[in-house]
Amino acid sequence: MIPAVEIRNLTVIFEPGNIRALDALNLTIPKGRVFGFIGPNGAGKTTAMHVLLGFVPPTSGEAFIFGENVNHSIARKQIGYLPEHPDTYRFMTGYELLSMTGRLFLMKGKSLKTRIDEILEQTGIADAANRKIATYSRGMMQRICLAQALINDPDLVILDEPTGGLDPIGRLAIRKIITGLRERGKTVFFSSHELSEVELVCDYLAILSKGKIVSEGAVRDLIKPGDNLEKYFMETIKAI
Amino acid sequence: MTQILTIASVVWLKMLRKKDIYVLLILTGALLTTLISLDIFGLGKVTGYIKEMGLLMAWLFGWILAVNVSSREIPEEETRGTIFPLLAKPITRFQFLCGKLLGSFTIVAVAILVFYVLVFAVVISRGGTFDFKTIAQGYALHCAALAVLSAMSLAFSTRMNYDAAASISYVLSGVMFLLVRRIPVFITYAEGIRANALMIIYNLLPHLEIFDMRKRIIHDYGPLNALPFCGILAYGLLLSLLFLMLAWLSYRQKRFSRGTML
Repeated sequence: MIPAVEIRNLTVIFEPGNIRALDALNLTIPKGRVFGFIGPNGAGKTTAMHVLLGFVPPTSGEAFIFGENVNHSIARKQIGYLPEHPDTYRFMTGYELLSMTGRLFLMKGKSLKTRIDEILEQTGIADAANRKIATYSRGMMQRICLAQALINDPDLVILDEPTGGLDPIGRLAIRKIITGLRERGKTVFFSSHELSEVELVCDYLAILSKGKIVSEGAVRDLIKPGDNLEKYFMETIKAI
Repeated sequence: MTQILTIASVVWLKMLRKKDIYVLLILTGALLTTLISLDIFGLGKVTGYIKEMGLLMAWLFGWILAVNVSSREIPEEETRGTIFPLLAKPITRFQFLCGKLLGSFTIVAVAILVFYVLVFAVVISRGGTFDFKTIAQGYALHCAALAVLSAMSLAFSTRMNYDAAASISYVLSGVMFLLVRRIPVFITYAEGIRANALMIIYNLLPHLEIFDMRKRIIHDYGPLNALPFCGILAYGLLLSLLFLMLAWLSYRQKRFSRGTML
């Protein structure tokens, strides 16, 4: 079975400074998993995601999404992506943004309209759909960006710090959306510093440090009964 | 094509919603004021002056708009971080660049159409006449020159911030427009290697001056024959495509990281 994500010996070196952001990284994420990607700041989480999205060409190694090399734009057909600091065209209304995003996926007509209505409802911003995004709060901005990431009903959703800066209500909403995606068999690959969130929603996780995976497995196998992810994470990082 | 048109529509919507349209209105106001103020100097009835001033301003404003609109699009996407969700979609970077160029160019083409209509409305109101075919050709070639400028500015903006891309585009286009036409004069005074070097430079640099039909319009010399007209249009298309390809070569492997947003 073709995995949702496959990364083989991926190395990324940033010039100037010869910074090794990823160091021969290997990672396979089977379809249908909610996969947490955690690590300290500068571990390479965002860089790995950026390689998958084609923003950063690898120095060496390869990456595939549903068997398609990430160098090809077709690989992004089944991806939804929410960036770390989401921002979008603030001069548009929420509805216009989703309509524009849908057209980039060659969606049109009634099916696009139906999908926009569905996703607005799902992300809880239907009431603000006809308002300019410039008037949205931080949480609403996060939701509209998540809505545009989900417009194509992607099989793989990449979320970079999806709950960063959100209040508890916003976090709960994002958590519900991720849980909903899992129930529908979608693959979710997300990074977060909110370890309690990761523990709550993830089936599997990988801990990244200095561009390498230092621990990987099912959440229930990695964390001993009575412990929590934060403790496990700190012990793992200290042991390096 | 749908994706290119979608990206172009975003450029248009931004121009309209962010009130950039006001710039166009101010420029139109400046043009109109200049044309009407010719009356003060007793030139209001001399339609040749009206045409000359109006077309000069249309060229000047078109130049400013083409460079500004085209060179800010990509840096703005990158600094705001809106490039990330956009390029995460199944579009190639070439489609992205084509969309940006199409959006920028059509804005400028429509803007100068407004200027042309305004100039010739004033000419008619003062009892002047004009040959529609010559003006249509002049407008088409003006658009071709602006397409070249837009593509050049876009190419620079793939690796530079807005200020740098706009500055270098202004300087280079100024040189192309004002100095290239003088090179043959220098060649007549040069000898040997210098003359050959100047000749090579003359042939290599884009010749924006050949798109300028103002004198034909002002002095009613009549339209160009079909062959030279189509040849100049093809030259403009070729130059625009060349700059678009340079933009793509520069952009296709560009890395985007968090640093891009700084």
